[in-house]
Amino acid sequence: MQRITYAAIVTSTHARTGKTLLSRVLADYFMVSGDSPMIFDTDPIEQSLSASFPSQSLVVDINQVRDQMLLFDNLASASTDPRVVDLSHLAFRKFFNLMRDTDFIPEARSAGIEPLILYITDHDRRSLEEGRLLLDRFADCAVVVVDNGHLRQPTSITRQSSDYRALHAYDLHLAMPALDAVSATVIDEDPLLSLGELLRQPLRSSADAGDLAGNARAAIRSWVLRLFREIYRVNELLETRLAAEPAPPQLTPTRSDA
Amino acid sequence: MKPVVLLIGADKGGVGKTTVTRTVLDYLAAKNMPARAFDAEHPRGTLKRFHPVSTDVIDITDVADQMKMLDTLHTSDVKVSVIDIRAGLLSGTLQALTDVGFFDMVKGGEFNFGLLHVVGPSVASLDEISEVLPLAEDKHYFVVKNFINETSFFEWNPDVYKSYFNMLKNAVEVNVPKLNEMAYEQVELAGVPFSTFVANRNPQGLPGNYSLVLRGYVRTWLNQISAEYDRVGLLDRLSS
Repeated sequence: MQRITYAAIVTSTHARTGKTLLSRVLADYFMVSGDSPMIFDTDPIEQSLSASFPSQSLVVDINQVRDQMLLFDNLASASTDPRVVDLSHLAFRKFFNLMRDTDFIPEARSAGIEPLILYITDHDRRSLEEGRLLLDRFADCAVVVVDNGHLRQPTSITRQSSDYRALHAYDLHLAMPALDAVSATVIDEDPLLSLGELLRQPLRSSADAGDLAGNARAAIRSWVLRLFREIYRVNELLETRLAAEPAPPQLTPTRSDA
Repeated sequence: MKPVVLLIGADKGGVGKTTVTRTVLDYLAAKNMPARAFDAEHPRGTLKRFHPVSTDVIDITDVADQMKMLDTLHTSDVKVSVIDIRAGLLSGTLQALTDVGFFDMVKGGEFNFGLLHVVGPSVASLDEISEVLPLAEDKHYFVVKNFINETSFFEWNPDVYKSYFNMLKNAVEVNVPKLNEMAYEQVELAGVPFSTFVANRNPQGLPGNYSLVLRGYVRTWLNQISAEYDRVGLLDRLSS
């Protein structure tokens, strides 16, 4: 089976929903799999994802045309490197409008890139509404609804809403397990900690593990493992689906730099 | 269909006349209505750079060139002739066309004629309208407000605005939105029609290497203009 080269866009409509964390894990997942992902951080102020991958990432300001070019032209460039975009809630609208206006999806596919939207929902109605709109608007693109176990769940009233039900019935979900407060702090405060490497190290030997306490390490390791399994599962699912689908329509002009 | 002559002009330079002409050529091509173009910016020919195959550079004041343009209207396979009039020559050209009896032929039903008058946001530009208006009576007269330079047309001063635009009872107002500067520059550099840029082709018709984002900006802009030409019924008016 042909391996898929993803342009993964991790996003949500609110701050502090785990976008950067999921982006980081995804980038680590690709690295552990032997790829060198192109990483894009769309928050020019905080630059938190970029702090984890200083040499592999680009920080872009979605409001600058030059940066829009840097982002989209790279996302659709013909290469087998996967791409990860940490899409800030502040850049959400602009990004998806540009994605439409640039005809990004067929353009990326003609370069062998599969766009993939990972949308993290939260308890808020607006988040559910936006998620549903996203599914409608990008029906031609793979969208994964991410349920972050760390976040507050929607109330029983919100769960009655048509948006919640539509998202709930949707068939492509990724469960992000809850992370305990200590582990979250450890990950947060050590942006250079490679979560993928952590998995590869033996649990008991603390020789190279720096100052990470044994318990925190074990907790983070098990959390990363569960999330990696989820990513793997969703990837398998997508590969089966994309292989079953007839080839999507391609744009006629193919890029000369292919 | 009768042969159509579409004059695009301004009495003033720098109002984006050639840009408007280029959008009209793209629009007609998209509607399966191939057009030939005459670039009256003799001897420079900016338009010819973007549409080299379909464009002839002419000197509108020269009788031989006038013949080249008008005498072939019936014989040409291409039914639409678009003429990009050099800045400052609009009134003069309209006068010249009157003198050679062209407008009598239009009245007699031999040709269709339309005028796209591109105006800039200055009082001088608005004054042109009052100058051209008497010559444009009974014709399809479109006043094109070009927002390419992010201009404002006296909207803050209703008196000036009304005095000009309300005088145009038979004129149709067309608004050309602004195109992102960087995208505009790249198309300039590429030297191709806007639609070719969107399709990512170079002047030789080979795959180009233009930015996806800039192509997106041009595509969106071109769609807006196309919707605007649809709205004012540019084609229907000219082919009726």
